[in-house]
Amino acid sequence: MSAAIEIEGLVKRYEDLTAVDRVSLAVEEGDFFGFLGPNGAGKTTTINAVVGLASFQEGSIRLFGYDVVREWRQARALVGLAPQEYNFDRYLSIRDILIYQGGYYGLRGPALRRRADELLERFGLAQKANVFYTRLSGGMKRRLTLARALIHQPRLLILDEPTAGVDVELRLELWDFVRELNRSGTTIFLTTHYLEEAEALCRNIAIIERGRIAARESTRDLIGNRSLQDVFLELIKR
Amino acid sequence: MIGAGAFTLENPVALWTLIKREMKRTWVVINQVIWPPIITTVLYVFVFGLALGSRIGNTQGVPYAAFLIPGLIMLQVIDSAYGETGSSVFQGRFLNHIQELLIAPMSALEIVLGFVLAGIARSFLIAGLITVLGLALVHTGPRDWLLYALVVSMVAVLFTSIGIVFGLMAEKFDHIAIFTTFVITPLVFVGGVFTSIRFLPPLVQQVSLFNPMFYMIDAFRYSFTGRSDVSLVLSLGIVGSLSAVAFAAALTMTAAGYKLRV
Repeated sequence: MSAAIEIEGLVKRYEDLTAVDRVSLAVEEGDFFGFLGPNGAGKTTTINAVVGLASFQEGSIRLFGYDVVREWRQARALVGLAPQEYNFDRYLSIRDILIYQGGYYGLRGPALRRRADELLERFGLAQKANVFYTRLSGGMKRRLTLARALIHQPRLLILDEPTAGVDVELRLELWDFVRELNRSGTTIFLTTHYLEEAEALCRNIAIIERGRIAARESTRDLIGNRSLQDVFLELIKR
Repeated sequence: MIGAGAFTLENPVALWTLIKREMKRTWVVINQVIWPPIITTVLYVFVFGLALGSRIGNTQGVPYAAFLIPGLIMLQVIDSAYGETGSSVFQGRFLNHIQELLIAPMSALEIVLGFVLAGIARSFLIAGLITVLGLALVHTGPRDWLLYALVVSMVAVLFTSIGIVFGLMAEKFDHIAIFTTFVITPLVFVGGVFTSIRFLPPLVQQVSLFNPMFYMIDAFRYSFTGRSDVSLVLSLGIVGSLSAVAFAAALTMTAAGYKLRV
């Protein structure tokens, strides 16, 4: 079985700045993987390279065995991205946001509409199906981000700060949902600044600092009898 | 860097979805996209065509109001094809929802074609409505529907492609307006919308031959009047070549991820 993500020697430079410096990382299929690091460490740049939003100068990225540069169609079809920011199409209703996103992945017809309605129901957005996203609360927008990422039933779900700015109740609800999703076989790649979130959810964790991988271990081995926060602070202060 | 498969066409559902999305946007902002060109045209027809035109007499063998209609159609098609596509692409970048396309299994060709085909559809909608107005108000319509459709399509490809290019280059909405204000509007107005270049002083006539808008308007007017100031083949050749160059530029920039992929 291919790894869900295989990154080898990834280098991303912006003129004089090396944002990602020879990063190598493998995430097994079915894993719940945490990718942590301080602001500006290279997390989002790495994610952008994985999903095709950033080019890179050196290295390779394979998703389920597909090279993201040469076999980008196959690779992208297997990934769902829930970005941190709300980047919804303001001309579409909530339901249409899901249906059109499915269309971009080549889906259509009654099956797509059913899938959109299921997700709206699952995320408590059915009552808002016909409104524009600007009418949603912050928590609803966060749920819509997740629903949109799942419309094409990706095998890998990338969550970039999925619980940023949401209240405790919704955070726990989202935790339950992604756990359930992971149990059903979806690989989860999570970035978060909430270390307790990573500690509670992730089986394996990598910490990136100044563009380089500072640690990559199982959560249990990484923290031992300490807290993730202590380990994290120690690693990034080196 | 242009990636492998950027020019492939393998996801027709995505292409169709993008066309529908663009048309949906047109529908949502109908008061900004469809009605203004129609109302502006009605005003032009009444003021220039019917009121002043009755004192001008025949132009290219037809009443002035009938001469005016094809020029006005081109004016609105050009303005809308450029402006709407440029705004849509820039807004997608500005609000980041263009990322929905960039992370999906869609090639650059599918993305550019989506915008261009939607631009053609929007252009036919606007051209069709103004043509109906022409039939109703001035009793003039196209004699050669094939040429009519060909010119509208080529002009729509040209200006939606330029819209994509400027939508990618712009750093603020203001930049989209620069091309309209300083290029499209002046060139269209002196390109033969309101008058045949034969009425212009000889020097200005010569200068007009360097104005690409003149060839678009002249070729399109031929589909109504059966007459033109220059050879129809020359006009179609120039418009077709410009459309191909603009489309290639939009495609290359999109494939290279210019201001799309970091």
